[in-house]
Amino acid sequence: MKSVRLVAIAVLVLTALTVLGARYLAPAGYEQQFREMPQAAPSAHHLLGTDDLGRDRWARLLYGMRVSLTLAPLAALFTTVLAGLVGGIAGYFGGWTERCCKLLIDLFLSVPWLFLLITVRAVLPLNVSPEASVTVTFALLGLLGWAASARVICAGAKNLMKSEFIWMARASGFSGFKLIRLHLLPNLRGALLAQFWISIPVFIIAEANLGALGLGVSEPLPSLGSLLRELQDAVMLRPEPWRLLPLAVLIVVISSFQVLLNKEEVRS
Amino acid sequence: MLRFWGWAVLRVAAVMLMASFASAMLMRIAPGFSSDDQELNSGLSSQSIQAIRQARLMDADIPHFYASYVASLIHGDLGASRSLNQPVKDLLRERLPVTLFNLAFALAVGWLLGLALAIAAQIWDTRALSFFANGLSGTFISTPAAALALVFLLLRWPPAFAAALLVYPKVYRYTQNLLQQSSEMPHVLTARAKGAGPWRVLAWHIAPIAFPQLIALVGVSISIGIGVLLPIEVVSDVAGIGQLAWHAAQARDLPLLVNLTMVVTFVTVCATLISDAAQRGLSRSAA
Amino acid sequence: MKRLYLVLVIWTMGFSSMFAQTGGELRFCLRSEPKTFNPLLVEDEASETIRYLTGGVLVRVNRITLNAEPDLATSWKVSEGGKRIRFKLREGLKYSDGTPFSAEDVAYTMQQLMDPALHSSTGDAFRSAEGKLATHVISAHEIEINFPAPVANLVNLFDTVAILSAKSPQKEMAALGPFYISDRKAGSYLLLKRNPYYWKKDAAGKQLPYLDSIRLDIEQNPEIEAMRYKRGEVHLINTVSPAIFEKLSSDSASVRDAGASTDTEQLWFNQVPSAPIPAYKKAWFTSTNFRRAVSEAINRNDLARIVYRGHAVPAIGIISSSNKFWFNASLTPHPYDTSSALHRLQQDGFQLIGDTLKDKDGNPVEFSIATNAGNRARESMATMIQQDLKKIGIKVNVVTLDFNSLLERMTQSYKYEACLLGFQNVELDPNSQMAVWLSSADNHQWNPSQKSPATAWEAEIDKLMRAQAASGDEHKRKQYWDRVQQIAWEQEPFIYLINKDALVAIAPSVKNAEPSVFRPQAFWNVETLALAR
Repeated sequence: MKSVRLVAIAVLVLTALTVLGARYLAPAGYEQQFREMPQAAPSAHHLLGTDDLGRDRWARLLYGMRVSLTLAPLAALFTTVLAGLVGGIAGYFGGWTERCCKLLIDLFLSVPWLFLLITVRAVLPLNVSPEASVTVTFALLGLLGWAASARVICAGAKNLMKSEFIWMARASGFSGFKLIRLHLLPNLRGALLAQFWISIPVFIIAEANLGALGLGVSEPLPSLGSLLRELQDAVMLRPEPWRLLPLAVLIVVISSFQVLLNKEEVRS
Repeated sequence: MLRFWGWAVLRVAAVMLMASFASAMLMRIAPGFSSDDQELNSGLSSQSIQAIRQARLMDADIPHFYASYVASLIHGDLGASRSLNQPVKDLLRERLPVTLFNLAFALAVGWLLGLALAIAAQIWDTRALSFFANGLSGTFISTPAAALALVFLLLRWPPAFAAALLVYPKVYRYTQNLLQQSSEMPHVLTARAKGAGPWRVLAWHIAPIAFPQLIALVGVSISIGIGVLLPIEVVSDVAGIGQLAWHAAQARDLPLLVNLTMVVTFVTVCATLISDAAQRGLSRSAA
Repeated sequence: MKRLYLVLVIWTMGFSSMFAQTGGELRFCLRSEPKTFNPLLVEDEASETIRYLTGGVLVRVNRITLNAEPDLATSWKVSEGGKRIRFKLREGLKYSDGTPFSAEDVAYTMQQLMDPALHSSTGDAFRSAEGKLATHVISAHEIEINFPAPVANLVNLFDTVAILSAKSPQKEMAALGPFYISDRKAGSYLLLKRNPYYWKKDAAGKQLPYLDSIRLDIEQNPEIEAMRYKRGEVHLINTVSPAIFEKLSSDSASVRDAGASTDTEQLWFNQVPSAPIPAYKKAWFTSTNFRRAVSEAINRNDLARIVYRGHAVPAIGIISSSNKFWFNASLTPHPYDTSSALHRLQQDGFQLIGDTLKDKDGNPVEFSIATNAGNRARESMATMIQQDLKKIGIKVNVVTLDFNSLLERMTQSYKYEACLLGFQNVELDPNSQMAVWLSSADNHQWNPSQKSPATAWEAEIDKLMRAQAASGDEHKRKQYWDRVQQIAWEQEPFIYLINKDALVAIAPSVKNAEPSVFRPQAFWNVETLALAR
């Protein structure tokens, strides 16, 4: 198991270095259009070929990873914290607090938030930078994505409230947010971690889909999600293997993170 | 028990009303509510364009619209879709069964796969199995629904199966983490130390701890399933309510969207209520 | 004996091939559910397809020759410069439910169409002035229609008017065209069956249409439509994207490029005085030099070659060269010349300092181009324009918005700086563009609904458009319209980018297909389409 962990660390370090060194590893840059060679196959000059507008795919992958693998985990963390707070409070207090929280959760699960996202885009200035636009998008995803997990956390918290160690903690004088933070949430780690891991790829893909509303990253800045959107073309029109690389990268990185933070791996 | 179900009915009704009102308000506030692509038709006269804009603003007063909608709803009239020029009742009658079937299939298969893999990973704690299960769930959770739906279309496989493959990683990840965490409890370690086999430990010691959260997950997996089905229906052109919802959003079709929100809310809240009832039953029997 | 044998063989072959060409069900897709089956209220493409396939019209414009041909009317006479038209109608015709057709139906249809409360673009096209329409039924098969003022392009406008029955209990569902709606499932398909009472016969006297039925599946996804075409589940695709065209042609499926269509893609700047954008940007956008410079800095050849894979041509002006009669052939393509672009900008006091262009007050030149999200071609064009303008120091931000939001900015709040959209020019006649070129019109996109023309050139265009609408002399109208095109070319309120080609896919089993650049491209001659057995 230790070797698996070492491989995971190596993958993540390599990814981080590659992404940070994008300027040197992909001097072509993500926006330059080599218009004489659109949709070119991989070559010495363009390791993964070029896209429809003649832009270097390798460069766009590196810069896309930088955007998505920075912002998506932050958004996932945000949503996990929100889920933990709402679910923890609901499970801890019970009664009317729990009922109100569950009502809020049900509302969040049912309302089509599409129009809130459209409204946010309308409020943003037209000349907002691509970086600001994608940051706002991920922040919104984090703000809206907590509801499903909060229910699971609430159920877990309610169950834990009957356990002996919680009784002992209360007897020792712990209560309220201190009890939630120090005793409840750490024991709901499983559900919280699941929420975190699921949210990262879901948010990356959601950011790409929000491009249909004008949110998400704007040209010419790439994101992993916008590169994944091209998979549709790969499936239907141009089944070129190198187009699958963004998907492969995402799978490998997510899996490496999971291996790294799996307790059993750490213990062994 | 009667009190519980009484509150449940009230809760369903309250959430349905609030969610549909909120969706109407959001649609009204969002830009483009009074816009119609017919305005760009250069064949239309100025008066016609003004008439089109006025027609769009008919429902601009949301409280008024909503009050008349609820009044009609009591008489069983769901109104008419502005963009499709058809009664909403007919549209739902045609499309709801399609989505419900696909949803049920996706959830059943997704849960089966997710649970099976999570339990297998727990019982046979091998590197190969762990690698396979994590890799497979990582693959499908990272794959855009639209791309997967297209692959299935090419292969002529049912799109509901694509939805199942997108539901299962979430089920697997939660279940695997819950079982993992529960297996670290002191009483589980004690049971193992006393020689209990892996199946016995799972059934008698791990499952009872993880169960309440799993039941809660069953409740919310409806909304996970709906979220996954929507892009699949749009891409695969399945005539379900997912496709209808996307159309309603793009066309700013207020009556259609409000009704769809009602339907989705009803299904979602009922599912969570059933899981709440199951949890209550469990905790009562445990007591 | 040998000669008789030869004659017999030839006759048998002709006879059998004739029978081999009849019958069968043609299958193709609609991109959306038709919004209406009332032919007078058609606005969307799906409804227009149904109207074309089921509606009987007095006059049909041949999509290849562009000549108006007799259909339900055998002849017509236009008088008073287009204020009056008299039709002689075919006798003995019936609707698909057996209801007889007569001049009363034409009168009924025109009265319905010209009802101001209807708000139909088909009716608005005839509305050259305020006032009521008068119809005079001379006999069962002759009718005279009087308009309050001359209507330009009067005869061809009847190509879009499907004649309703005044008496049929089926109302608008009773069809005079080659097919009628037999079955439908909302969101899924429509089935059209051969109209047993259709009047047309082929040269050999055989009843048309050749096809038994047409099945129209609702298919929103173009990639799935292409997949179904490859599998043989559909027989034709009326509009194919360049990417799918390449894929289908590389797989030897039958696709055809009919040539440059009449559709345009263009960019324009917001010149609305009350628009909530900084005053210095308004000054840029209202400057002809600025617009001409931007136009000269855009590489249209690259747009056509890369975005449309060579299936487009750089646009020259308002209309495409495929609209042969109305196109001003003296206009030349705008050059791609960054030096000339910079020179024009310098005339207005702009200066390129390092990599940044600044105006005379030192403001760096930066603006956003808004376009509708989800349209890959437009998003790609905007990205390429972003790169082109970067070469002359202009920073462009590409903003994609959902269509309704974009529309709201364009037509109501005017909260945009530049917009990239395309227009479908269904009608060839310049009169159809009155609502674009009149400064008071709602679709005068860069500065709509003006109380009086903001510039001298817009005032001149107003005069010219009104003159061509009032004139009955086609050559005079051509002169006026040529001058409008010239002004538009010089001032560039719209920076026309490309005219995309009409790309269709027609299976080899479909006989007698003659794709046109004009709508409906693949099936304009549906009554003579046949399926090989």
